[in-house]
Amino acid sequence: MNNYNNMMMGEQYRKMDPYSPKSSSSPRGGRSPIVSRQDSSGTLKTTISLGKNPSIVHSGPFYLMKEPPGEGELTGATNLMAHYGLEHSYSKFSGKKVKEQLSSFLPTLPGVIDGAGNMDNSSLRSIIEKPPIVGKELLPLTSVQLAGFRLHPGPLPEQYRTLNTTPARKHKNKHKKHKHKEGGLPQEPSLDPSGLDTHEKKHKKQKRHEDDKERKKRKKEKKRKRQRHSPEHPGSGGGGIMLPQQQTQLF
Amino acid sequence: MAAPLEHLETQLEMFIENVRQIRIIVSDFQPQGQNVLNQKIQGLVTGLQEIDKLKSQVQDVHIPIEVFDYIDQDKNPNLYTKDCIEKALMKNEEVKGKIDAYRKFKANMLVELQKTFPNELTMYRAIRD
Repeated sequence: MNNYNNMMMGEQYRKMDPYSPKSSSSPRGGRSPIVSRQDSSGTLKTTISLGKNPSIVHSGPFYLMKEPPGEGELTGATNLMAHYGLEHSYSKFSGKKVKEQLSSFLPTLPGVIDGAGNMDNSSLRSIIEKPPIVGKELLPLTSVQLAGFRLHPGPLPEQYRTLNTTPARKHKNKHKKHKHKEGGLPQEPSLDPSGLDTHEKKHKKQKRHEDDKERKKRKKEKKRKRQRHSPEHPGSGGGGIMLPQQQTQLF
Repeated sequence: MAAPLEHLETQLEMFIENVRQIRIIVSDFQPQGQNVLNQKIQGLVTGLQEIDKLKSQVQDVHIPIEVFDYIDQDKNPNLYTKDCIEKALMKNEEVKGKIDAYRKFKANMLVELQKTFPNELTMYRAIRD
């Protein structure tokens, strides 16, 4: 058995011998392409490269010659921001600090929107992950269906009022004149039962400053309400129906 | 493309306004407000119908899904644009740096090769030219 192994190893050694770079029998040394040599045979004059872009390159004595990559393509060497005309956007966002809160992106949206969507299960991601049922036709409610929306008169129960309060805007805080302490009531322009659209009026009111007279009137009315009708006031009962006129004056 | 988006935005704003008004009516409900409330609820259905109609006009609007994550995390979506621009600029500078480094490397290598293998490099240049 040992003899057999020795014989096999001897054979392997003999077979490898002509190709070994150590061997002095080969005049050209090993076959490694790294070793440069004079091309006496003229066999390495051309390199044929296959693949996506087959090409034939007259490479002379060099191995692995390829066509250099074309320089016409758009690369990272150019200022891509300028190339695509996005410098304006860049200067817009890099120049000033972008406000982080979502409410600063949607300033006109009423209600409290600065709350992570994951918290109250209202995330946009959940719409993609669990798509809602769609495809049903949207039809106006019948009178029977509308009967389900018949409400009892009076203010909302205490536990639901917190949902109605809107956070005080930062720019409002700068003006001490606008400080209200109306507690549980919604701090928004109220709506009269006739259903008039007060949306545009609300924006105008936010921007303009009010006259001194109006302020004085308001203060007086507030005092009166605090004494009589305010829901914060423990003695007032809280369940009194507020007239629409009074509501509009509140804000 | 701007018109359908603007139209959708208007419809959404109207819908939100309608909901806001319902909220105010409901927050201190008065018996005479029932009719108005019913109208507003029907208005909600109409608003949803209008929004649904606009669905087909905004089919080709593509939004990066990461924007949703920003909104869900209570962040201004403009921050996404800002982050994207900053990342693109950083990558652009990085790639430019690499390209410049390779250019210098190539130039240095040719200089050194010229010193060590002048004949081969002459041949090489002849092939490349």
